[in-house]
Amino acid sequence: MAHCERASKPLLQCLQKTYTKGLPGLQLQSTRAFQSTALAREEAQTEAKSTPFHKSPDPALVTSPRLERRLLRQGIAPVGSRRRRAALQGSSNIPFEQLPFQCFQEARKVLIADREEKVRDIQSTSEKIARLQALSNEEAGGLQVKKSKLRAMELHLEHLKILADVNDPLVKKKFEDGQGDLSKPIYRYLADRKWREYRRKILVQRITQMKVIPDVLPHCDPIVDTKLYFNRSQVQPGEYVNAKVSTTAPKLDVQLFEGGEKLVTIAVVDSDVPNVEKDGFDFKMHYLAVNVPISATNTKVDLAQLSGESQVVLPWEPPVAQKGSPYHRLSLFILEQKDSEPLDFAAVKAKETERENMLPRTLQARYHLKPIGAHLFRTQWDETTFEVMKQIGFPEANMELRRKRVEPLPYKRRNPSTFR
Amino acid sequence: MFQPRFLAPLRALERGLTRAPTAAIRNNNNYNNTSSLLRTTSSILSATSNSSILTQSKLTPLASPTLHQFLQVRHASHASQGTANRHSRDPAGKRLGAKRTAGEYVVPGCIIFRQRGTKWFPGENCAMGRDHTIYAAEAGYVRYYLDPERHPDRKYIGVVFEKDGKLPTPKNAPTRRKLNRVAVRFEPEEEVAAAKQGDLVAKIGQDGTQVGSATKVEAAQAAVQLRPGYMYREANWSIGRAAEKAGITAKPYNRKNRWLAWRKRTAKADRLAQMKSLKNKKKKKGGK
Repeated sequence: MAHCERASKPLLQCLQKTYTKGLPGLQLQSTRAFQSTALAREEAQTEAKSTPFHKSPDPALVTSPRLERRLLRQGIAPVGSRRRRAALQGSSNIPFEQLPFQCFQEARKVLIADREEKVRDIQSTSEKIARLQALSNEEAGGLQVKKSKLRAMELHLEHLKILADVNDPLVKKKFEDGQGDLSKPIYRYLADRKWREYRRKILVQRITQMKVIPDVLPHCDPIVDTKLYFNRSQVQPGEYVNAKVSTTAPKLDVQLFEGGEKLVTIAVVDSDVPNVEKDGFDFKMHYLAVNVPISATNTKVDLAQLSGESQVVLPWEPPVAQKGSPYHRLSLFILEQKDSEPLDFAAVKAKETERENMLPRTLQARYHLKPIGAHLFRTQWDETTFEVMKQIGFPEANMELRRKRVEPLPYKRRNPSTFR
Repeated sequence: MFQPRFLAPLRALERGLTRAPTAAIRNNNNYNNTSSLLRTTSSILSATSNSSILTQSKLTPLASPTLHQFLQVRHASHASQGTANRHSRDPAGKRLGAKRTAGEYVVPGCIIFRQRGTKWFPGENCAMGRDHTIYAAEAGYVRYYLDPERHPDRKYIGVVFEKDGKLPTPKNAPTRRKLNRVAVRFEPEEEVAAAKQGDLVAKIGQDGTQVGSATKVEAAQAAVQLRPGYMYREANWSIGRAAEKAGITAKPYNRKNRWLAWRKRTAKADRLAQMKSLKNKKKKKGGK
């Protein structure tokens, strides 16, 4: 706490001393703001006399790690960086529009002018779209031409909507503070960009390096951010999960970066079930649910809480790895249903009853699904596996897999008589 | 010092003089005579010019002109630069290259290709060793192939399971793998632990009743063997696992536990202080 206060001190002093006179308009609003004494803090302290700060810490101002932790336990994340919160404690919280930096205000004017231009563009494009829609097919030059034109114009309109707000400092601040409203296209765009910068790269690397992609499904281009939680702790893609931890169904956080709602199928597949007779590996479906609605704002999916009558085809089965078997990859796929139309649950339930050897490729072809998100975790034999096996009645719990001896090649004489 | 026209007649004279002694030896004349003759000539020369020292120095090396030509000196610095046709340019072969041809059967660990650098890359069911040696990771048949989808100009060595298998496989096809394991029954650790708890056995001997664990005693006896140094004792590895057997577990170190750290620190400081005081006492005693 002391560090960040020390770091932000020069800035605050500069703010408070240089602009003592300030702008005339500003003085009306906050006459005490530019005095050389730190008043905001005093005010906060006087207020705190009724309810002390440590009793109800403000997430925008809290700097002590202990109070931050307490807030986090309550489920409230502190806003921004600790350094910034420390700086805000002593600042007078002047709104953006009134910050007394001339260059900043000049730059804002440029941005505002640009935004106005973009808004005009948006209006004209939407008018154009309306006009084209009013035309009949013959007038527009055929159905296909009209369709493609409309599609192109709508894409352009979406692009313009993002361009209008992408340079707004307030939008940027709100997004970075995690207060962005994901029902708006600009925040979805920013969130998508942030996801693609790092988390998506990690995910794609894990699913390709661990060969999930050619083994389970031929290809997958993730467009939704998927987070997986077992018992409220997040699992990174490819992490090993203890057998006991994964006895309960995980929770998902599926972040869609497009507008509108989508109906998806969620499947968890184990692609490494050892088969000794075949000397190979089998598949096993650990979970299958259809018609799960997701949207940009409705992201939480609890696999245990989905309805058994209309969604869950195969309920969660805890994954276990036999002793001595290579690690099991449990890949979770979010598959978009065609045109986001609901599947016939009763038919699916009647058809998909066998967990063993249910191939995701078959499912994909049968129900016209398209993978839009993926996640991966692994299991291997650990100290809790045997217990879980007994619990779920695993048939070969006390069978261990040992390496098969490969017969060595026959000895070949290094210098036969022909060499001598 | 000398004008060349003065030097020319002197050289002619020298030539005459050198010839003279050889002729004298051939004629079995007395050597002393010739030497005296030499001396006389030098005296004559000294009389004519003031450079007797010079002529003498010029005369002395002339005694062995042929030896000088063959005695060449090669210093260490010169020799170390190597000879013109040195053998280091043509070292022994390193026996690199293919050890298994395409289609040959290999088992895991079988070396397929030895190379310097990566002329070939490990493909399906193959791996690369420390010195870029390609070896098989599965039993099968060797294939040498190109895989433009993976890399435009890398050459790969792979192993397929079937004799007529093909590589590369399509990019979207699931990988072909083998389990290579057999199922064996095993005793789960909990049951093993339960079985290890031996029954209590009572023995009635001369000095009273003894109660002990039967299996544990046996295990202990089995462990005691004649060890190097003619000692009956436990093996070192079993001594090392004594704590594990006794069920003693050390707490994992937690760097955030500052209270424990503080206690340890103070204990150490106290110990050091005590040691110091003891040392001082000894010194004082010695001084007295």
